Amino acid sequence: MIERHLLKLRARDIVSPEEEQAIRDSIGEVRSLSADEIIVHAGRLMTFSVMLLDGLMCRYKDLSDGQRQITELHVAGDFADLHSFTLKRLDHSVMTLTPCRVALVPHEKLEQITERYPHLTRLYWFTTNMDAAIHREWEVSLGRRTALSRIATLFCEIKIRLEIVGLTDGLSYDFDLTQTDLAECVGLTPIHVNRTLKELRERGLVQFKSGRVTIHDWDGLARVAEFDPAYLYLEKWRT
Amino acid sequence: MARYYLHINNGGGYSEDLEGQELPDLDAARAAAIEGVRSMLSEEARQGQLDLSGKIEIADDGGNILLVVPFCDAVELRRSE
Repeated sequence: MIERHLLKLRARDIVSPEEEQAIRDSIGEVRSLSADEIIVHAGRLMTFSVMLLDGLMCRYKDLSDGQRQITELHVAGDFADLHSFTLKRLDHSVMTLTPCRVALVPHEKLEQITERYPHLTRLYWFTTNMDAAIHREWEVSLGRRTALSRIATLFCEIKIRLEIVGLTDGLSYDFDLTQTDLAECVGLTPIHVNRTLKELRERGLVQFKSGRVTIHDWDGLARVAEFDPAYLYLEKWRT
Repeated sequence: MARYYLHINNGGGYSEDLEGQELPDLDAARAAAIEGVRSMLSEEARQGQLDLSGKIEIADDGGNILLVVPFCDAVELRRSE
């Protein structure tokens, strides 16, 4: 059940059998959610963190006029809100973008991990730092990149993140988002996204169709994106 | 709510909207078109050129064009005399 989570962690560090068991023991309820379901409401007291087992979720914030900014996407194997363990009431919400299966990890279980497994605790600290690195990369996109480069960056990032958890097929992967979802990730409108996807397709770089991304030219796409995967901390090192 | 398809026709060619958006009515679809045009034009302005000759075609599920929104409807241009 937590195999993708373990793949994500083990791409960066060693997880001992005892630590793996501690993670397994921390899993509480498992829930199946439909698309567009809110699992974490901003401002509500959290007593558990959400581990994504299958599907795609996002962190987001809304403005009063209905505009939404997605601030990070989550793929299978991610904790969507490990930081709610220390923050308790979050400043953002978390929702599903596709049908999802999630495991709820009670905060009291996470507290036991922090008391008994210092290395695993550091590894989880590392993963929240990695979330912060992803947020920084998105800030750069939203503030400085062109529309073409923003979407190219997103497709590159998700390819790498899904590859780590075994969810790519070469250079293509399932990515069942609407153009509206994409627009909310990259700070554009659905029309602008549509126009930009056309340009990426016509340049022979990538196709996004029927909920699937197919990259035709990885080097070209990475060049348009100025994509440097350093912010995904792919090297294995011991925390 | 109904599904509206916002096809783009401008200097970059024709971009068909295969997915569409669920919107309350045609007014909301027009507003989405205007917002989309402004988003594209803002990117063009950053690169120093504005092409206002395009249009958005708003179609329904049956492919009927309900409304055409010229890009120039999305902005008010002012310049000093």
